[in-house]
Amino acid sequence: MQKLKNGLLFPLLILLSWYLISQAGIFSPYLLPSPSIVWSSFQELLADGVLMTHLLVSLKRVFFGFAISMLCAIPLGILCGQSKIFHSYCWPTLEFIRHIPPLAAIPLIILWTGIGEASKLTIIFLASFFPLFLNTYSGIKNCDPKLLEVGKNFNFTQSELNKYIRIPAAIEQIAVGLQLSLGFSWRALIGAELIAASAGIGYLILDAQELSRPDIVIVGMISIGIVGSIIDYLFLHVLNLALPWRRKAVISDGK
Amino acid sequence: MENKNCLLEIRDLNKSFGDKQVVHNMSMCFSPASFTCIVGKSGCGKTTFLKMLAGLELMDSGTINLNANHHKIGMVFQEPRLMPWLTVSENITFASKNDTTLSKDKLPEILEALELTDAANLYPHQLSGGMAQRVSLGRTLFFNPDIILMDEPFSAVDYFTRQSLQRTLLKLFSQEQKTIIFVTHDVEEALVLGDEVLVMDKGTIKSAIKVDLPRPREASNSELQLLRQQILHAL
Repeated sequence: MQKLKNGLLFPLLILLSWYLISQAGIFSPYLLPSPSIVWSSFQELLADGVLMTHLLVSLKRVFFGFAISMLCAIPLGILCGQSKIFHSYCWPTLEFIRHIPPLAAIPLIILWTGIGEASKLTIIFLASFFPLFLNTYSGIKNCDPKLLEVGKNFNFTQSELNKYIRIPAAIEQIAVGLQLSLGFSWRALIGAELIAASAGIGYLILDAQELSRPDIVIVGMISIGIVGSIIDYLFLHVLNLALPWRRKAVISDGK
Repeated sequence: MENKNCLLEIRDLNKSFGDKQVVHNMSMCFSPASFTCIVGKSGCGKTTFLKMLAGLELMDSGTINLNANHHKIGMVFQEPRLMPWLTVSENITFASKNDTTLSKDKLPEILEALELTDAANLYPHQLSGGMAQRVSLGRTLFFNPDIILMDEPFSAVDYFTRQSLQRTLLKLFSQEQKTIIFVTHDVEEALVLGDEVLVMDKGTIKSAIKVDLPRPREASNSELQLLRQQILHAL
């Protein structure tokens, strides 16, 4: 309860400052609409279903982009962490691609994949791939050699060492990668929806900008923040259910 | 030539790390159902020697011969080395992942012998140091090796836990009749536990001292004190 109180302090302070500044009329409502205008826009967008429609489109994109990223990054991270040969072939290329921001590739992505869903998924994929890949790789690579010795003592083969020790030991770090990657997917969404989108929360924000409706822009931004936080909370909850030893660790830490 | 009384025979074992020779021309024989303790100062090569026996470290030269019918060697490490994602029961039966001949029916018996029945479903981070080390011992017992190598397994626990673990180990030794090679830097522990104490220094065995005293032994026993002086003198 105390944590919740502490966490609410800054948002309330920001809201109060925002209210006072807009009441004082320091900025024009076209630059900074008051909280009450934003609240009414939020209610309108919610009532006519516009906000939910755009959010669902964006969520679908994030989900598919993140899923593709997961399917590629986890196996590749495991392979790179396990095999020095595979690592030596892949690492320089991946290291090179890692430094190119996905937004810099937009012109080429449009050229190759068109302006449909594929281009948006590609950007989300590129943004979310590396946090997950690098965490998976690091989790496998940095497996405690003392645990591996236990398996070797029981005559485990390399594939058994991987299956029963390296991968389970890396799961917590893979989970960190998943959490980061999910955040990056959500952040890349606006970039993805810059590409000739006709729906999605990014489109809603850009459209509002063109219509000079900063209140809707703020509604869009706050919605992204809230949905992102809810997804993160749900993800951690699922993670604690899936990894019971982690859950119990959290419980005992909190005592 | 193979010695028939030896379960494990070592000849001219050598190991170096760079210029430093850690194990130097070691030769010895371990009989079945014997409890041998190896004492020595830190860095004298005890752990490297055990790791070579366990197949976790390659030797430079020499031979390690195991009696043909007894080929399983299990090791209990200095730290419990439990898999954090597995419960106590799952950690104990860990060896069954690759050896399907190991029956999980043995689990309740091992849990009971090590007083871990109530902790069967706990995770390693919920255990005390002594409990974790008992799980580690249980994991090796479940593997059912012919020879158990123990590398200072009780060094990280407090005095009372150590006493309790020593009693448990001796009880299991008398029941299971395994061959135990126990490395320690604690001379009294070696004398309380072992049938024989090997004094190791600079990668070789300096002397072998028989401890022909009935168990349980008290560290304050006068004969034990004499042997203690003998070992300290050799070190």
